[in-house]
Amino acid sequence: MENSIRFENVDKTYGKTPVIKSLNLNVQKGERIILLGPSGCGKSTILRMISGLETISGGNLYLNDILANEIDPGDRSIAMVFQNYALFPHMTVEDNIAYGLNINKVPKAEVASRVLEVLKILNLTGFEKRLPRELSGGQRQRVALARALVKRADFLLLDEPLSNLDAQLRGQARKELVNIHEMYHQTFVYVTHDQVEAMTIGNRIALVNGGCLQMLDTPNNVYRHPANIFVAKFIGSPSTNILHIRYENGRVYLADGQSFPLSDAWVRQIEKSEAKELVMGIRPEDVTVGRPDVTAEASVSFKVSYVEDYGNRIGYYFKLGEEEVISIMPESIFGLGDDAKWFINYAKLHFFDAATERSIGDPEEY
Amino acid sequence: MKTKQNETQLFRVNSHSKRKSDLKWHIIFIVVVILMLYPIVFAVSTSFKTLQEVYSNSFGVIPQNPTTAAYAGVLAKIPFLRITFNTFFVATLVTLFKLFTGILAAYSFVFFDYKGKKVVYFILICTIFIPFTVTMIPNFITVSQIGLKDNLLGVALPQMADATGIFLLRQHMRGIPRSLVEVAELENTPHLTRLRTIVIPMVKPAIFSIGIIFFVNSWNEYVWPLLILKSEKNYTLSLALQMFVSSEGGVDVPMAMATSVLTILLPLILYIFCQKFIIETFSQSGIKG
Repeated sequence: MENSIRFENVDKTYGKTPVIKSLNLNVQKGERIILLGPSGCGKSTILRMISGLETISGGNLYLNDILANEIDPGDRSIAMVFQNYALFPHMTVEDNIAYGLNINKVPKAEVASRVLEVLKILNLTGFEKRLPRELSGGQRQRVALARALVKRADFLLLDEPLSNLDAQLRGQARKELVNIHEMYHQTFVYVTHDQVEAMTIGNRIALVNGGCLQMLDTPNNVYRHPANIFVAKFIGSPSTNILHIRYENGRVYLADGQSFPLSDAWVRQIEKSEAKELVMGIRPEDVTVGRPDVTAEASVSFKVSYVEDYGNRIGYYFKLGEEEVISIMPESIFGLGDDAKWFINYAKLHFFDAATERSIGDPEEY
Repeated sequence: MKTKQNETQLFRVNSHSKRKSDLKWHIIFIVVVILMLYPIVFAVSTSFKTLQEVYSNSFGVIPQNPTTAAYAGVLAKIPFLRITFNTFFVATLVTLFKLFTGILAAYSFVFFDYKGKKVVYFILICTIFIPFTVTMIPNFITVSQIGLKDNLLGVALPQMADATGIFLLRQHMRGIPRSLVEVAELENTPHLTRLRTIVIPMVKPAIFSIGIIFFVNSWNEYVWPLLILKSEKNYTLSLALQMFVSSEGGVDVPMAMATSVLTILLPLILYIFCQKFIIETFSQSGIKG
């Protein structure tokens, strides 16, 4: 597949502070890529470098295989939706949407038909003559999107476009965005710190932290095969349990001294890796707990130290030495202080090298 | 039922104490308003008095025998319409030019990045603190050397750009969200078009209020026109006013006051008209609701 955006060792520094460090990133044509990360991680800077609103301090950026470092923002075939929508308060909805077309002297008749088209698609007909302040938050967001779509640019850049909407509207807007992409097939670059948006909208997710790309993969792989501890902890809520363990002779020793045997596949995988110390990760929803009298080969006993009722699920907290583990189960089985057992499911475990924080990789079978 | 009664009682206590503090403020405001309005009331009332009454009843607010003689005298003695037009001409020219130069300079300070921008801006702001008396003589020499002595253009010329206006406009332009300008940047909008379609409409209320300040300042300008203008037909209103106050013949107070009233009339009308407009433009702005 042809690349439409390519970062080659791109650096960005503000004064002497590095913001982006040696970024390599390929975005395919027509793809919906999500830049996901905590605030201040540099994801917006990456987006702004694509748009040209931010210059590049080092390395090369290619757009449609053309070196774009020095190309003006206006010549990059880019449309952008800003977090605050950036609607002109003194212009009507219609004038806001047509702004770029009018500036670039598109014939009047064509402007009218293109504006009408996006108004229809975004359910904004009837609002043409309104001013932005006379619209609701959701409507303003759609006007901002309409203004970006009417340009028919190659790239549509979205900078946290849904963060100012309430939860209900956000769910609806997510679906709309995906539908619109199916219609236009522009290359979507979407910045968010919301993992639900990232998982539901993205074809691929680029996780960014501390100015470095942490992982670039499909939502499914990002969730199931986190490349490092940051990814494992950032995706999913509550966050992945991270346990410092000791591995010896095919057994995993936990912080409180309990141990369980590993499958042969995992033993091979661990011995293949060169990690000296290991960290084990497991998602709360993968921590299966049950009654203490059931015997199983790989299990860990514990006492429930805290219970949280989410309504549809129950969260059990328990301590293994100094470390706390959260388990999310569909129904209530235990109360506070009850004895229980954690049954290890090998397929759900993740192991990381404690020194590099990188995943040692998953075995092909568990 | 009982709680409801308690609530109303509580409310009453609150509104009572609120009224009490309101009263305090009202008294302060009334005193301030009287202090500010009295000179104007004095001028208006004196302008309708006879010269005799001015001496017998100096501070009376209502004239005993109201007469428009002073106004008739003013109109007969000086080319009043001509002088008003002169003042209006200078003030308008100065206001438009100051806004023009101020808007362009402020735009460059806010939206361009160039080397030495901060230094240039700093030097510019420093000029605010240079007193008029320092620049008066150099300006006078310059203006007379280019042959604009006793000419209204000579009055207007040194006022056509100043740092205060640039400073105020820059502050307002900085308030425009960056992303609005970036939308224009992504469309390759030329700077002058950005200025016309985005920046000016968004700082319109500020432009109007700053414009009014410029206009009134120039309208009231006294020393500089006094230096430049010689012939009566070129006088501005503040000079005309002086004609009734100084000189050997003593002060014709009613005529001086009549001229004063006429002098403040036009800016007052302008202000009343613009105030309505300014409030309108202010309520139109506001990005987020």
